[in-house]
Amino acid sequence: MILNEMVLPIIVVLAVLVGGAYSVAVMDRVIATRLGAPRAGNPWLSPLTRGAWLLVQQANVTEAPDGRAWRLAPALYLALAATGLALVPWSETLVATDLATSVVLWGSVEALATVVIFLHGWSANAPLALIGAYRYVALGLSYLLISMFVLIGVALPAESLQLTQVVMSQEGLWNVVRQPLGLPLFLVVGLGMTFWGPLNLADSTDLAGGTASEVSGPPRLVWDVARAAMLVAFSGIAASAFLGGWLGPWLSGPLWMVVKMLAVLAVLLWLGRVVPRVAPERCVTGMWVVLLPLAFVDLIWAGVAALWQ
Amino acid sequence: MAVSWLHRLAGLTPVPVFPALGMGGDVVLRRLAQATNIELVGSPRHASVLLVAGGVQPDLLEALRRVHDQLPWPSSSLWFRCEPLPELEDATRIDDIEALPGALAAIHRELLLQRRGSSPRLLPDNPPNPWEGLGDDGHGGEGMMGGVPYGRPMAMNMHDDIRDGLTLDSLTFRIGPFFPAFPPGMSAEVTVQGDLVQSWTTQSLPHLVALDPVFHDARQRSVPIARLELARVRYHLHRLFHGLRLAGWESAALHVLHLAMRLTSDSRADALRRRLERYGFFYLAALDGGVLEVEQARRVGGPASRAAGLDDDLRSEDANYQRLGFSPVFHNAGDTRARWQQILAEIEQSLQLAKQAAREDLHTQNSVAIETPRGPWSDERCPTDASRLLDEIIPGLEWDSALATIASLDIAALSDWPLVEDKPLTRSEERSS
Repeated sequence: MILNEMVLPIIVVLAVLVGGAYSVAVMDRVIATRLGAPRAGNPWLSPLTRGAWLLVQQANVTEAPDGRAWRLAPALYLALAATGLALVPWSETLVATDLATSVVLWGSVEALATVVIFLHGWSANAPLALIGAYRYVALGLSYLLISMFVLIGVALPAESLQLTQVVMSQEGLWNVVRQPLGLPLFLVVGLGMTFWGPLNLADSTDLAGGTASEVSGPPRLVWDVARAAMLVAFSGIAASAFLGGWLGPWLSGPLWMVVKMLAVLAVLLWLGRVVPRVAPERCVTGMWVVLLPLAFVDLIWAGVAALWQ
Repeated sequence: MAVSWLHRLAGLTPVPVFPALGMGGDVVLRRLAQATNIELVGSPRHASVLLVAGGVQPDLLEALRRVHDQLPWPSSSLWFRCEPLPELEDATRIDDIEALPGALAAIHRELLLQRRGSSPRLLPDNPPNPWEGLGDDGHGGEGMMGGVPYGRPMAMNMHDDIRDGLTLDSLTFRIGPFFPAFPPGMSAEVTVQGDLVQSWTTQSLPHLVALDPVFHDARQRSVPIARLELARVRYHLHRLFHGLRLAGWESAALHVLHLAMRLTSDSRADALRRRLERYGFFYLAALDGGVLEVEQARRVGGPASRAAGLDDDLRSEDANYQRLGFSPVFHNAGDTRARWQQILAEIEQSLQLAKQAAREDLHTQNSVAIETPRGPWSDERCPTDASRLLDEIIPGLEWDSALATIASLDIAALSDWPLVEDKPLTRSEERSS
């Protein structure tokens, strides 16, 4: 029992955390090179060399930061990513924590991420980091609402808030087909929530790195790993909610999950490189005026379809 | 101390370089953006090597020392066409731009293999002003209010919000002259509420901007129009490169740079326009702000004035340009979006002119007054510094729009000296010269 309920879940989560963050770094690098970035060297080695460089670098301090909060924020974000990863079902039985309310817990991970990202920017006591933090808070609510509606949409046919049930409800037809608006909306949420690519408004280039602009050394490494891990956790939830999770012929369940998660990651990382950063104001307007109504439509669609069956 | 395997591994990473740009230093950005083993970073905290490029005015040295001290150890500095600070005895100077990536990589590797010590801190690690030690929280004010801890005003709710009435604490800070998103040399005192700029005071002016030697030649004698127009295209492409990097769009910025590097009179900008339009640069990026009134646009001159609906372009007065059927393109909105659209349209127009002029081997006729990419240039009229204009147009913009506006405006004064850019002449230039 101890092995099954304590040791195994921790091993699964840690393995996915490390392997996932590493894959994100490699894939992002390969996509960047494909799009013309001049990068020499081995893409498989580059995440390791960068990690090593950050480990040997000094962790600097700013003038009068909120020291404990500043050091804690990357660790908290990593913990949130790990919580998200723990919810991802790899097969019917291989789930780190198979909660009856795993969709709700994922929602709380998204909400708490807002707090942690704000903490990271605010506690550095530096203007650009603070502006990045403000921006994330201003935008966070608009992502969360869309995310919640879209996820309620996939919970309806499953008649459950448990991700394993959500996956099993897709035995006949995947949600990506059943609710065609769901996945595209959820991918936009993913870019926003993990502040990646065109929706990277918290750690953006115009803020010289935003909430991470004053961070160096090991804390920066933790922050980078946590951001990549959060993207992996998101892709796991997206694959389970819309792409039928472990379901699929020929391959074993966990392998199908890996394939589907890598596909979601590839789309997110590619979008991250080919689209310019969206202006914050346009982002808020787009979320509330266009995407949120579409999320309503998605939910009504899911509700009507559920009644029909 | 033995060098650990971790240090050896770390030495293999691309060199994170923070560029501190002095006069004429921006050439290094373009060279290093294409180097395979260099990563240009936006914050000194993310760098391993500080690259000081170009001459730094004496009054900016104090700010440079502060930037220098922000690099986390192990770190060092390299000085490109610039004399190192006297305190830095081990600092290396280099003048050859082709040797620059190699020199940066060597410093980085030596630092990590511990064959070179880190640069010493140049300034004492003390607050610039004393902590006041008064009030309930030692912040220098009364009760919980007011005060200037460490000589800086507290983030206080002192001003009403100038846009939507949502008042947040005002935060005042100074930024520049080495902030990479600004024109090199410019610094400003900014007050923000959230990410909305409430007030903006330009404090030090951007460095003078140098033009390709062909523009200086054109003021003396007749020069081939193809050469002049290609130099103009290159100037605009370099500015677009900066604008796209700021918009977080590295792949498109590199596309622009490649186009600039391989420019010939047969080059076309269609693929660039398609890319900018298809992936939504004009629609998604923060290009809504920074509207210039006609009078303000005239003060800036050049493409910025034509983007605001003025159709003054000295090329119309040149007989050979008239033979090529030249008439100025212009846009009317006068905002950041219109300025980038104007730049793109002028790039296309200049490429068209260059192609035609190369075919007909046309030279300029008018050397008294020429249209440079920075604006009209004659004995009476020379592009002057317009950075004070920012004090008028930046307040009320969000930070992203504010920086995009600054990037789209060419506000530095014109240098008397031509640009020194070490690069081989392109084939068409050789032909036309």
